[in-house]
Parts: sequence; structure tokens; C-alpha cells
Amino acid sequence: MTDKAPFRILLAALGGEGGGVLMNWIVEAARASGHRVQATSVPGVAQRTGSTSYYIEIARKEALDAVLSLVPMPGRVDAVVCSELVEAARVMAAGFVSPRLTTLISSTARFYSTAEKIAMGDGRYDEANVRKAAEKMARDSYLLDLGQLATENGTFVSATMYGALCGSGVLPFDLEQARTVLGDARSQAGFDAAVAAVQRMKDGAAPEAPEAAESDPAPRPDLSDLPDGLRTVIGHGLDRLRDYQDDAYAETYRARANLLIASADLSDHRAVHALTEACRRLALWMAYEDVARVADLKTRPERFERIRDEVQLQPGQTLTVTEYLKPRAEEIADILPVPIGRRIMARVARGGGIPFTGRGIHVRSNGVIGYRMLRTMAAMKHLRRRSYRFAEEQRAIEDWLMSMQAALAHSPDFAMGLAELPRVLKGYSDTLQRGKTAYARIMQDIVRPAVAAGTEADTARWLRDAIGAALADDSHAKLEAVLAGQPPAPEIPNLKRVENV
Amino acid sequence: MEVSFAKEIEKLKLGEGETFHGEGILAVTKALLQSGVSYVGGYQGAPVSHLIDVMVQAAPELGDLGVHVEPCTNEASAAAMLGASIMYPVRGAVTWKSIVGTNVAADALSNLASPGVMGGALIVIGEDYGEGASVIQERSHAFAMKSTMWLMDPRPNLPSIVNCVERSFELSEASNTPVMMELRIRACHVQGSFETKDNVKPAISMNSLAEAAPHDYEQLAHPPVTFGHERKKTGERMDAARAFIAEHGLNEVFDGPQGDVGLIVQGGLYNALIRALSELGLADGAGNCDLPIMALNVVYPLVPDEILSFAKDKKAVLVLEEGQPEYIENEIGTIFRRAGCDVTLAGKDMLPMAGEYTSEVIGTGVGKFLREHLPKIGNRLSDESYAQEVEALREEAKALLVEPVPPRPPGFCTGCPERPFFAALKLTQQEIGPVHYSADIGCHAFATFAPFNFGNSILGYGMSLASNASVASFQQKRPIAVMGDGGFWHNGLLSGVTSRLLNGGDGILVIMKNGYTSATGTQEVISSPDKALKLEAADKSATDGETTIEDALKGVGVKWLRTVHTYKVAQMRDTLREAFKTPFNGLKVIVAEGECQLERQRRVKPIRAKALKAGERVQRTRFGVDEDTCTGDHSCIRLSGCPTLTIKTSTDPLKTDPVAHVNNGCVGCGLCGEVAHAATLCPSFWRADIVTNPGWRDRARAGLRRMLTGVRV
Repeated sequence: MTDKAPFRILLAALGGEGGGVLMNWIVEAARASGHRVQATSVPGVAQRTGSTSYYIEIARKEALDAVLSLVPMPGRVDAVVCSELVEAARVMAAGFVSPRLTTLISSTARFYSTAEKIAMGDGRYDEANVRKAAEKMARDSYLLDLGQLATENGTFVSATMYGALCGSGVLPFDLEQARTVLGDARSQAGFDAAVAAVQRMKDGAAPEAPEAAESDPAPRPDLSDLPDGLRTVIGHGLDRLRDYQDDAYAETYRARANLLIASADLSDHRAVHALTEACRRLALWMAYEDVARVADLKTRPERFERIRDEVQLQPGQTLTVTEYLKPRAEEIADILPVPIGRRIMARVARGGGIPFTGRGIHVRSNGVIGYRMLRTMAAMKHLRRRSYRFAEEQRAIEDWLMSMQAALAHSPDFAMGLAELPRVLKGYSDTLQRGKTAYARIMQDIVRPAVAAGTEADTARWLRDAIGAALADDSHAKLEAVLAGQPPAPEIPNLKRVENV
Repeated sequence: MEVSFAKEIEKLKLGEGETFHGEGILAVTKALLQSGVSYVGGYQGAPVSHLIDVMVQAAPELGDLGVHVEPCTNEASAAAMLGASIMYPVRGAVTWKSIVGTNVAADALSNLASPGVMGGALIVIGEDYGEGASVIQERSHAFAMKSTMWLMDPRPNLPSIVNCVERSFELSEASNTPVMMELRIRACHVQGSFETKDNVKPAISMNSLAEAAPHDYEQLAHPPVTFGHERKKTGERMDAARAFIAEHGLNEVFDGPQGDVGLIVQGGLYNALIRALSELGLADGAGNCDLPIMALNVVYPLVPDEILSFAKDKKAVLVLEEGQPEYIENEIGTIFRRAGCDVTLAGKDMLPMAGEYTSEVIGTGVGKFLREHLPKIGNRLSDESYAQEVEALREEAKALLVEPVPPRPPGFCTGCPERPFFAALKLTQQEIGPVHYSADIGCHAFATFAPFNFGNSILGYGMSLASNASVASFQQKRPIAVMGDGGFWHNGLLSGVTSRLLNGGDGILVIMKNGYTSATGTQEVISSPDKALKLEAADKSATDGETTIEDALKGVGVKWLRTVHTYKVAQMRDTLREAFKTPFNGLKVIVAEGECQLERQRRVKPIRAKALKAGERVQRTRFGVDEDTCTGDHSCIRLSGCPTLTIKTSTDPLKTDPVAHVNNGCVGCGLCGEVAHAATLCPSFWRADIVTNPGWRDRARAGLRRMLTGVRV
């Protein structure tokens, strides 16, 4: 019966993306080419960003009296077009993509869902799985960044979705007919670009690959005997800490890294992995952010260049950049010499503070006064080595390093977990405080007893569960449960990524 | 509202023999005009908002027809409007979303249906059932039965829908009974075509006035005549309706060669049934089917003779009836029993009691029915292999995708002024601990989703305050109720505020004053900012100067009242803290003010475009995150939830977690900066003010900055 069935199109988009516009284009073009067509949608409420779908049936030319359906049937859809990659996953999960029938076109652009964004670590859905599924489950699949193509042509994703659908050649009317319903030049440009891109893919151009990740730092002969990944991380770490403080501090990093390397068995890939992650965390930790660092980063020329790009500044426009800062007494104490810092912290602990702090301020970082002020703060970098926070952080780092050495020597699995532990130390102020609490709890309840008793290998799983739980919610309810010996809830985000590296 | 329906209005003017192309609900609107309605009313709600919105904007163009159009303040007032048809020969129609709207209208409907109508009265209801529904899953059918109104459920194609509208008025007049017509969401939004007729000028209208009707006690829903009404409803009116339905063939029978069995289907499900049957190989694409089908375009009342004649000589019939309970099936059962008809009746024993009847579901049910009652056909059906095929597809997808697909419910728009309130409430709860939160219907109900996760109950539109009246009596902390201005005027002022004041109760009410009923498409309410306020506000919030809500609250005696602009997150948090802690015992109302961003943007865009074209100075603001200082803990996202505040892979080779990122959709509302301040988050947020066509002052300042800082921008 399939050959007599109408041509069935399912559009999956997010509210506010113009899915309705796209649906109307298809309807208009089908009608103009002499087809009977019906389309409908479940747009729900008027708000944005929720999943939404549109369904179109185009009757075969000879079937003028066809009864057209308003609801798509799983496994019986000829073309699926998605504005976003995870929406393609949703459509596949619902059974609408069939290898017998379905041409699947999806933008590879990601519009992260709230669930993915609110994770304290990396809660993003695995894109590689979606690509793999699309390839296996569709008769033909075209995955390309339709959002980017739209931006490049100054139009909306609806235009490039339409172009990609038409370019795939599955519609029962030709390209020219399809194009005539577009009223404006930008939509047409986006349409043409998408048509061309899909036709290139049809002609066997390599499917779009995800962007290659990190760049390599400058080659360093002194690190050449180390495994690749580790060498890269240490190279970046040295650069980072030289930039953060000075050559001597970078040397301290090198010395600490060497201690860890000496404890690890470099022939064991798990140990190498743990070592690499430990060196990564060590560099980030040593380059902790204090007011001097923040002020320095905020006044660099390349940062202003980045902002110019991000806001798409045109020639002739002027730009002012305003910072939202709220330095508290704690942040001031951090950068001051140990005795003063300690006194201020004691005052804070008693409920006191210091004048002019704890209030939100707006600083114009490219203004004359704001810029000078930030540069002055940046210069406090020279006080850092004698500062209160520096002493605190070095103590904690040394403590972690000791456990790390023991772990690398005894259990690579445990070491993999312990290397990830500093990841829970994130953010600023309250967020950082919560991270520190979690860190201290895990250190005290899991790491120290395990290292003392030499039971690292048996405790590795528990440690990784605890880190996953600490990153799962900011109330630490899940962490407390894991520490109390309960099995982790299966949905703890990040757990997978801590494990399957 | 700032949206224009100019194109749609043109379609309403089409004349005899022309072709209308467009959406189902707009076709209904056109059919009303072709039927000569004198008045149209309704209350907005997906999927029928369009009907009222277009009519309101079309009022001037349709002036020569003399049709009175009224967007009502709730469904009860819309239903009561139909009272015009009780004593006058005028046709009228109202519309709303069901089941919720019908619930609200129920009182007026009972009182309307009892005396009955002289002029045709039609209620167009958007049946919000199944996928995409935003309301409780119940059936409007019950209301038709209990109030004795007729219920149409037309086949979902435009000619059939339009025909049903026209016939509904005739049926209503022939039987002196109001008629409801239910359209499911997809039918309301279906794009199709039909041949139009001229619009009909009503005999009595705004342009053609009538004398007051004489007093007739018989037409009042008041004792003792209500006892007579009841007899009439179930007697002469019902008989007249059945006669009309049969005579005009409103229900359709499609014959088929396999006459041993038959299918009786609600008209609205017909297309899904045909698709299911063609998948089973029992029908062709044009609807020619091996099995006889009776499509009920009128689902209440049934015409017993029609049912019995269809069932005659059959062994079994299957009733396809979406939703629960199975009213139609029960009624057919009664018809069979009374007539001594021994045809086997199947229905909910073959199909699921609850949930949408998609082709997939129907196919499975029909397959089961045929295997049992027509095995010679049933045993060679392919429905089971189809079910297996679909199951295999889903299993394969599940295996390949590994993780379940993250949910993506609708959420607050970019720049929505309601989101900052919830950030403030989240901060307040971090200080004082969790409180009982009564949620309501409206955009603010999105705060029930992540990242806010607020709400202990939702009891109906404008009902949040009323719903915690008793909760307050046993809570350690004061409960809070949140409603929108739409909900406040729909019901909240009376059910919530005045009831609480009457009882001298304590409690906290927050009213989101964004100026419109935004969730349904920014229709106006009585407190919507007028043109002068909008003009004055330019690109600022136009609800700032509007005080109707505050005046009403003061008028009924609210003593503790604060209005706070939602973007002042810290001030809102402080106000909330005060409301929770103050010794003042009584109702405390916080009006959270901030104009709906959709409306504001629609207003601002043309102003800006004009200024840019004229070469005038225009300032644009957007926010951003420094990825160097962002540590990827995403606490800003958990407090904001803005669609444009998202994440991206860090370009820092040492960082593994994604960093926060503001994309180009940012409208510069400033919430992220405010939250960073109020919650002491991190120093990563920046605000960029970009001036196009800068004046000499801007340029001089920029030059000075460049010179003295060395920064090129």
C-alpha cells in the first residue's frame, strides 16, 4: 500500500523557531504544484523552546479524494526534518524513522535542554550516539548544521530546513516550485545554501564531522618521553601557571607533576589516564581564581576582541563593557598577606566585615576609571605568594598530592577517581563553599580511610559514585546518600563520564 | 495584542464560489459569518484563541455585517452571552478551550440549556485532549449529556467542519437547544481548503436594532418552570433534534462488502481510522473500506433508529470512542437492549480506556476485534506485524541512543519578566527554607519545571490563593500563592482575594503583572496598558504605570500591598523575605510587575528599525560570560533558566566541563547580571552596550577611553 500512500512529512522543532512558517511553505508549494495537501500541528502554548511537531500529508496527484490523516504513524513517515539534533533522537525514539522509508534530515546544532544545562559538570547528551542512530535507522540521513547555515545567510532555520528537505529530492514537486513560495532574498539565500549542502552530501561528500578538539601547545623536548595526552596536559599546565604567576610557579607545577609521574606505572593505561587527569586538575587548581586573576583576565586585549566578535560589533558603533562584580570581605582577605587575611576571616566568621565590600558593583572595564581600577587589582598578583588564600590552597594541594601519590602506586582505578575529585571545587563564594564542603566530606569519609588502610582498590567505585553524586545536585542530598552507603541513584549525571573515560 | 491578523481577515471576506485555504479554526470563523451570526464571544485558550483574536481585529472590517464581537473575561461570561438567543431569533456563537473552560462555564450552560433557545446558539470547544494537551484529560461529552445540549464531532476536514457549523445553527433552532461542536487540537490547526459562500447579514444586529422581548416567565431558569424544562429537554426537544439529524443525514454511513461487522466512530476520529484500516489492507487511500463504517458527526444525542438500522444483520459492531468513560458505547448498549437487538457490542474491551486514539492504537484495536468477530479477515491481518515492526524500531533506537532523550517542556521566553521573580523566590527559599507553594495556570506554571521546580498544587485558573486557604492553618511557614494577571481577573480576585479577606486569613499572594494573558497569545485584560502608557514607556515596561490591579486590591481592603519590578531581583527577594517574616497577620500581596517580553519586543522592534533607518542614535544591550573565569558549575543557569543562557565546550584545553555561554538570542534583559549580584555568584557576567549611530559625545568618550586605556574597543 506504501506506493499509494500520501507523502508524509514530520517536522520536529522547538517553539519559536518558525516550524509553522516552514509547514506553510510546504503546504503552499504543494498546492501550487497541483497537489492536495493537509498539514497540522500541536504547537501547544505560545511559549518558546519546548519540543513541538508539525505533520504534513501530500496526496499523490492521481488521488484527489484521498483521506488525509492528522496524526503521523510510527514507521510510516517518508521524511523527517528536525531543527536540532536531540529532537532527531526524540523522533527516532518514538519510532517514526524507518530504514525502509524515511529520509531523515536534521540540523546538528544543539540547543541544550534545561536538564542538560543545569548539571554541575557535563550533562550534555551524547551526540555521537544520535549520529550513529541516524545513520542506522534512516533510509537516508543528512545531518548538517542548518542553524549555522541560516546564520551565515542572515535568515532563520526554517529556511535552511526547507532547503535541505527540497535538496534531498524526496518531495513530489521540483526545486523551482519549492523556491517560489519564499518571499524574501535572505530566505532564498538560506534555502539555496541548504540545497547545495545536501546535494553535496548526496554526491558523496564526507558527512560533516564534529569539530576537532583541543590544540596542541608548543612542542617541548623536555617532555618528549611522556605519553601524548599527558605531555599535552603538562605543556598546557606549564603555560597556564607561567601566565598565572611566574616561571618559578610553573616549575613548582613541574616538580609536583614529576612526583606523580614517579608514583605511576606508565605501562598501565589506566594509571596514565589517572595521571593525565591529575595533572590537568593540578594545573587548574594551582591557577585558582582570585580577584587579581579575575581583574587580569578581564582587562586583556584579546578578551575585548572576543567581546567585539561575540556582540558582532560593526564599524562605526561604540561599545562599553560593564562588569558585574561583588567582592566580599572574603575575596579581599584572600589576596592580602596571611596575618591580615586571617584577621579579616576571623571577623567575617564573627559576622563582621570590612567597609565597601559585599555590595554589587558595576565596573566599566573599558572605561578610564574602571580599567585603571582593574589593572591595579591585577597588580596584586605580586602579593599572591604571601597571601592568605595562597597558603590555604597550597596546603590543600599538598594534602591531595600525597593521597594521589599513594593512589597511583596502589590502585589506578582509585587514582582515576581521586584525580577527578578537585572537579567538585567550582565556582565562587557560596558555590565554592559548597564544593569545599563536598570535597572535605569525601576526603574525610572515603579517601583518608582508604589510603590509611591500603584499601584503595576496593573503595574506587564508592569514590567515583560520591564524586558523581556531589556533582549531581547543589543540595548534596545525593552525596549524603552515597556517603551513608546507599547505592547511587542511576540518573546521577556525570557518573558515566567519570567512569567511561 | 501587537500581532496582526490582516491576512486572516481577508480570508473572512471571501464570497460565493471562492476557495478558502487555511486553518481549521479560521474556517469555523468564516462559517459563523456564512451562518449569519449576530454576536460572537469567547475566552482565549489554545487551540481556539485564533477565532476570537481574528474576530476582534476584524470587527471594523466586518462592520457592515453588524456582528457584535466580545472577548469575555472568562468562559462563564462567554456562556452567559448566549442568553441573547433565549428570547430573540438571533444566532450567536461562543468559544473556549475544554475541559477547563466548560467547567468554568457550567453554571451558565445549565441555565441556558434549561429554558432553551430561540435563535441558534453554538459553542465551539477546542477539545484539548491527547498529545500536546495542557489540561486535565476529561471529556466535554459529559456536559452535553448532563445539560442536554447537542454535541457535534465533525470529520476533521474543512468542508465537513464548515458544514457542521452551518447545520449546528439549524439543529439548534429546530430543537430550541444550544449545540456544542468539539474540535480536537489537530483539527483546529489543520490546514485545508473549502469552497466559500457569501457572508450573511443577520436580521437583528448592531446595525438593525430590535425591541425588548416581552416578559415570558417560561424562559427563565427559575422554578417552577425548570420542572417543565426538564421534560421538554428530554422530550420534545430531543425528539426534534433526532428527527433533524436523521432527516438531514448529519451522520454518515460508508458501506463496505464485509457486512457481518461494522464500525461506529466519532466523526473526529474518522481519518485516523481510515489510515489504520489502509495499513491493515482493509481500505484504500480514498476511504473505500471493506467494512461498513458509521461516522457520528453528532455524538449526542444518538438516533436509535440510525444505530439499529446500521447494526441490522451484523454479528458485531465496534465503537471507536476516544476518552473515558465510554458514554457512546453505553448508550448504544442501551439502544440494543431496549430493542432486543442481539448484535455483539465491542468497544473499550478492544481499545484502551484512556489516551489518544492514534492510527497505531486504532489499528491494534480493530485487529483484535476482527480476529474475534470476523476471523476469516482477522486471521490474515498484518496489524501484529506492524506492531512488532514499530516495537523493533523503538527498541533499536533505544539501544543506539543509549541514554533516554532529555525532556524538553515549554519554558519561559527569553527576556520573560516572570523568570526573575522565580530566581528571587529561589534565593528566598535558600534563606528561609522550603514553603508551601500553590501554583496556578499561566506562563508562571513553567516554574513547575526545572530549574525552578516550584509548586505543591495546581487547582485551576486563578485558584492558587483559594487552594491554600486551609493549608495555611497547619503550616509552620506562610504558604505562598502565585497567579498571573490573567488568572487574577478570570477568577482570582473573587475566589481568592475576597474570600481570604472575608475570612481574615493570613497568606501571601503574588500577582504576575505582565499586562496580558500571555500564555494564550497575549490577549488583553482589563489591566492591560493602554496606548498612551505604551507610547510613554517606549522600550521600557508599560505595566509600570498601570494600577488597575493595585486599585482593585486596595478597593476590596488589602492592607499589605507592594509592587516590585521583577528585574530588581534583590529587592524582590527582600520583599518576599519581609512578607514571610512580617508580624502583620492578614493577606499580603506582592504585585510582580514586568511587561510581557513578547509584547514589548513587538512594540519596540518597529521603533528601533525606524530610528536606525533615520540614522538616529540607538543603543542595544546584550550580556555575555567570560569563559576564562567561568568554572562550569552552572549555578547561574539553575537560578535563571533563560533559553539564551546556555553552555558550550570550553576553548580552554584544560577544562573538561562545558562553560556558560550567552547566545545571540539575548535581548539584554539583565537577569543574569542581577542574579549574579543578588546571589553572589561569580564575576563572569558582562554587559555590552552597543551604540549604533553614536553621537559626538559617544564618539568623544570612546576616543578618550581608547587613548587612556589602550583598549581598542
